[in-house]
Parts: sequence; structure tokens; C-alpha cells
Amino acid sequence: MALQQRRDQSVDRVGSSTCRTAIDAEDVHVTYDDGTEAVQGVSLDVDEGEFFGFLGPNGAGKTTTIKTLVTLLAPTQGSVRINGYDTKTDPQAVRESIGYMAQETSIDFELTPRENLRVACQMYGVPSDEREERIESLLELVDLRDVADKRAETFSGGMQKRLDTATVLVHRPPVVFLDEPTTGLDPEARLRVWNYFEEINDRGTTVFLTTQYLEEANELCDRLAILQDGQITHTGTPDELKSAIGTDTLTLSLKDPSDQKRRRAVHVVRQLDALEAATVEQTAEGLIIEADNVRSAVGDLFTELAAADITVTDFDVQSPTLDDVFLTLAGSEVEENGIATETATVQEVTR
Amino acid sequence: MSGATDESGIESDSATRASGNSSLTDARISFKRWLVKTSRNPYVTFTSLVQPIIFFVLMAEVLGAIAGGAISQSVSSDVSYVTYLTPAIIIQSALAAAAVSGIGLVDDMETGMFDKTLISPMHRSAMFVGKMLSEVVRITVQTGIILALGYLLLSVKSGASVDHYLQTGLFGVVGIFVVAIVFGGVFMAYSNIVALVTRDREATVMIANLLTFPLLFISSAFLPLEVLPDWIQAVAVANPITYGVDGIRALMLGRDVMSVFEITSFTGFWNTVIPAIGVLLAFNVVLGGIAVGLLKRASKADVQ
Repeated sequence: MALQQRRDQSVDRVGSSTCRTAIDAEDVHVTYDDGTEAVQGVSLDVDEGEFFGFLGPNGAGKTTTIKTLVTLLAPTQGSVRINGYDTKTDPQAVRESIGYMAQETSIDFELTPRENLRVACQMYGVPSDEREERIESLLELVDLRDVADKRAETFSGGMQKRLDTATVLVHRPPVVFLDEPTTGLDPEARLRVWNYFEEINDRGTTVFLTTQYLEEANELCDRLAILQDGQITHTGTPDELKSAIGTDTLTLSLKDPSDQKRRRAVHVVRQLDALEAATVEQTAEGLIIEADNVRSAVGDLFTELAAADITVTDFDVQSPTLDDVFLTLAGSEVEENGIATETATVQEVTR
Repeated sequence: MSGATDESGIESDSATRASGNSSLTDARISFKRWLVKTSRNPYVTFTSLVQPIIFFVLMAEVLGAIAGGAISQSVSSDVSYVTYLTPAIIIQSALAAAAVSGIGLVDDMETGMFDKTLISPMHRSAMFVGKMLSEVVRITVQTGIILALGYLLLSVKSGASVDHYLQTGLFGVVGIFVVAIVFGGVFMAYSNIVALVTRDREATVMIANLLTFPLLFISSAFLPLEVLPDWIQAVAVANPITYGVDGIRALMLGRDVMSVFEITSFTGFWNTVIPAIGVLLAFNVVLGGIAVGLLKRASKADVQ
């Protein structure tokens, strides 16, 4: 029976288009017993093999959403399909298809990395003749081979986290959920874990990552969703989100920032075709020029300024970062609510 | 990488679906995991084995010096206090092992291992059965050690024979293990209830120590109930320890020693063993039922 079902599934897979949906959430609401509406109508559509980022401030409902996706919570309303299986009607099939790394480091501290991985292999029914090989390659991947037989309780936080990541992947799940996997790691450990995530994603694994680090999302994710107060406010590629909120900015410092010099500099900028649409602002030191293509126009601009006998002493070009996205969006949200503390109360409930 | 996955290329390096196990396999996995975890925790061995043994020797020396009169008046003059005390220490040790059962659960909840197992394909009941079995094994081993230690103490003190120490022979030994395990079940359930209600490691440890230790004294564990104050006799009726101790004591002495009520429907020590196991089973059903209910709720989480 189960075998039959699995075969049907694989036929279905070959028949359908190459881009299958790995995570399909429709209008998911999660309301806790105390009435807190942690998730209010989240819809997701993540393709197979995609690296999807889920961003949001503390208490936005990221963990509640991820717990709903991995069958730990049942949606109050709406439906979730993972790898084609419905979390409500076929939770067992979902559980066999996923790996989930919680925010807490979920390992047996009394056991060694090798033992932790062995238990995980057994839990997921990894065939015994493949176990040792997989354990060795995972230990290699997370660089814990040297300490494979030492108890995990003696490890640093970063090593424990890496071990946790390895245990999530023993059964080679097609979809992996990572809930703030790099929180509390030092920069080196974080880079190492990033490489690791990219590697499993390259192998075809769909990765769903929640994070508070925008740099991380920018680095790793193909697509992002921003969650605010239980609702997705923005979705797109990191670049789309960045360009949605702003353009490149060129800050110029002039040698002699007198009114006259500055006015002449503005005139030079205006004459350049490339910077026709730019907004120009005068500051005490010089100018701030905002335009999409300001980076490419810098060379021409400097030539023209030199020709007009205006000396530039310092300059800086900035592109909007995801931090800007985040602050702009989160900032407006806080203002709308009028109460900045609201997020804190929600956070307590979600944990 | 296995040959099969290599053939089908990079894409299939992630399997489509893991295969689960049978309930029996799941229980065995969980059983082994917990056995290794507890065996590596020195605190566990200390509270449930070293502490009762120290207690055994001290009580036998101190209380034994004065308890002789009370014992011969209540049971018989040819019963040594060591023999009288052994069931109490077996129960104390089983109690210490069972009363910390909830700590493992709280730890799993705190580290996230609880959630991790919930989202694995493991059978949920098998998971808990495995954990319980590991505790049963612990109680069995500890009971065996203390039983042997009691005999050692007795033979050092009075040179008594095994027959004298354990009146019901090999059958009695099996019976003692059964009573100790059934008794352990009561406090395993109790400890898990505390763990599931508080969800806090410190609280679980504290309540385990706070309540279980005095309970030993408000029972027939150390002295015959007849010589103890009325209020202790009254509380002892509702104390599972009384039934655990009386049950084992009846098997060791080979006679009816039930101290809280009189039953004569059976013969000899059965008049104690049967009602004792019956009462303990009733405790198991009630507390176990509550624990399972709470556990089901905990695995579902509080959503509408």
C-alpha cells in the first residue's frame, strides 16, 4: 500500500514540470489558546531546490510559521503541503521528507557526535549498510571528524550547532527547515555553516531559512519573504527588495564647499545625461546624489567636476543593504502601531 | 555515497522520503539512547544507588541499635533489622530512580530534542515506552545490587543463611523485582506529571527531592507503623511507599506483614503481596493516565 503510494508519487514527479513546489502554504493562520494570533494568513510557494529566506524581527511569528510547516503545530486555518504531502492528512509522509533544525541546539550532549548521528540515522531508518559511510561524510562536512568520539557537552557552541546541522541531514531530506541556525555563532563558524548550507542546496535540497541576520539572507537566499506581525509584507529576491526601498547614493565632499562652488557642482551634475533623474541635495561638506546608476556615472562626473575646477576631497557610494530594507519596513510598522513594545509580548507566546 | 544515489545524479542526492521503522525498532532505539544517556550521568548513579547504600548502612547501624524491640513485637523476634530494612532501601532506590524520570523529558524539551523526535517518523508511544524501559532496567539492576548488599550486611553481622534472609527463595526474588518495578511506575508517572506541568528542570528536581524523601518516613519503611504516631499511620494508608515496602517485605519474610489494613482472603504472604500490587497498579493507572494525557497535549501544542 505504502509502496504503491510512493510509486504513484514518483510517476507524478516525472510527469509534472521540473519545477515542483516543495513548500506550499495557503492562507495559514495560527492562533494560540490564549487568543494570540501569531500567524495571520501566510501563503508561501517555494520551489524545489530553492533557497528561501524568511526574515522578520523578534516575535514576528517566524518560529510559529516554521513549526506549522514541520507539523509541530497544526494551522488553525489554511493548509500546508510539503513535498506534495498535506501536513494535516499525511503528517507521517511530511516527517519523512523533512529535516528541521530548531533554534535551540537539539543534540544529546552526553553522546559523542558519532553517536548522535547514529541515533539520528536509526530514527529515520537509514539502511544499516549505508550508515557508517553517511556518518563519516557528514562528520567530514561539518568538520567534526577529529572530535567524533568526544562527548558533545565539552564542545563550543559553534561545534554543537554544526553537529546539530549534521544530525538534521542524515536521511538526506528533500526539504530542510533551519530556524535561525547561526544565532550565537562567531563569524568564522557562521561562514563555515553558510558554506555547508550552500553545499546541500547545490545538491538539490530545498532550504527554508529564518534569520535575523540580513547579511545572511542576502548571501544565501534566492528569494526572501519579510514577516511582520504574522503577515508577509514583502516577497522577492534580495535585489528586488533592496531596490524597492532605495537607490544608490553618492556622497561627495568638496575642497571648498562654498555656496557658489556647490551650486556650480549641482549644475555639473544636472548637465550629465546619465544623472538626469538624480536627486541632488546640498550639505555642509558637499553634495549627496541619489540615482540608480550613480555608480556607473561616477567616472564621468569626476571628469566633468575636474574640468569645472571643483576638487573632490572624499567620496562614498552606498547601495541600500537589507538592513536598510529591514529598518525602513520595520520602522514604518512600529510607527503605524504606535507601540514599539508590542513585538516583545508576541515573542513570549511564540516560544 | 551509495551506488544507487550516484547513478541518478546530483538531484537525487537528497532522498525523496526516509523510511520509518516498526514500533518495536523505535522503542529499542529510544531505549538504547536513554540507557546510554543515564549511564553517563554521574548524578543519576549517585542519587539512586550510592545514596540509598549509604543510607542502608547508616540506618542499619543507628536505628538497628534500638529498633529490635519494635520489630520483634510487630513481626517476630528472629527477624534482623537488616532484613527488615532491605525492602525499604530497595524502595528508596527505586523511588530515586523513578522520581527523576521527568528530568529527561524536561531536558529534551529544553534542548529541543523533544520537538526533534516529534517531527521524526518515530512512533510517539514507542519513544516513551523505550524511555520507560530504560528506567525499568535501572530499577531492576539497583534492586539486585541492594538485595545482594543486604545479604552481605546480614551475613557479616549475624552469619545468617540465604534461606533465612529470603524466606520465599528464588520465586521471592522475581516477586521483589515485580513489586519494585510496579512501584517505580507510580513515581515515574508522578515525576513526568510534574515535569509536564512545570516544564522546568529545577522544579522537577526540587519537587522530586522535596516530596519523595519525607514520604519514606511517613510509611512502614523504617519502623513498624504500630510504634509510630497516629497521624503517620493515617497518612501511610495513602502512601504508595507503604505498599511497595510491605509487598517486598512480605516476600522476604514469607509472611503477611501488611501494615495498613487486614486482608485474609489469601494465604500467608499473599495476603500482603496481592493487595499491595493491586493498590500500586491502581496508582499506576490513575497517575499514568494523567501523565499520558499531559504528554499528548504537550506533543500537540496549544493551538486552537
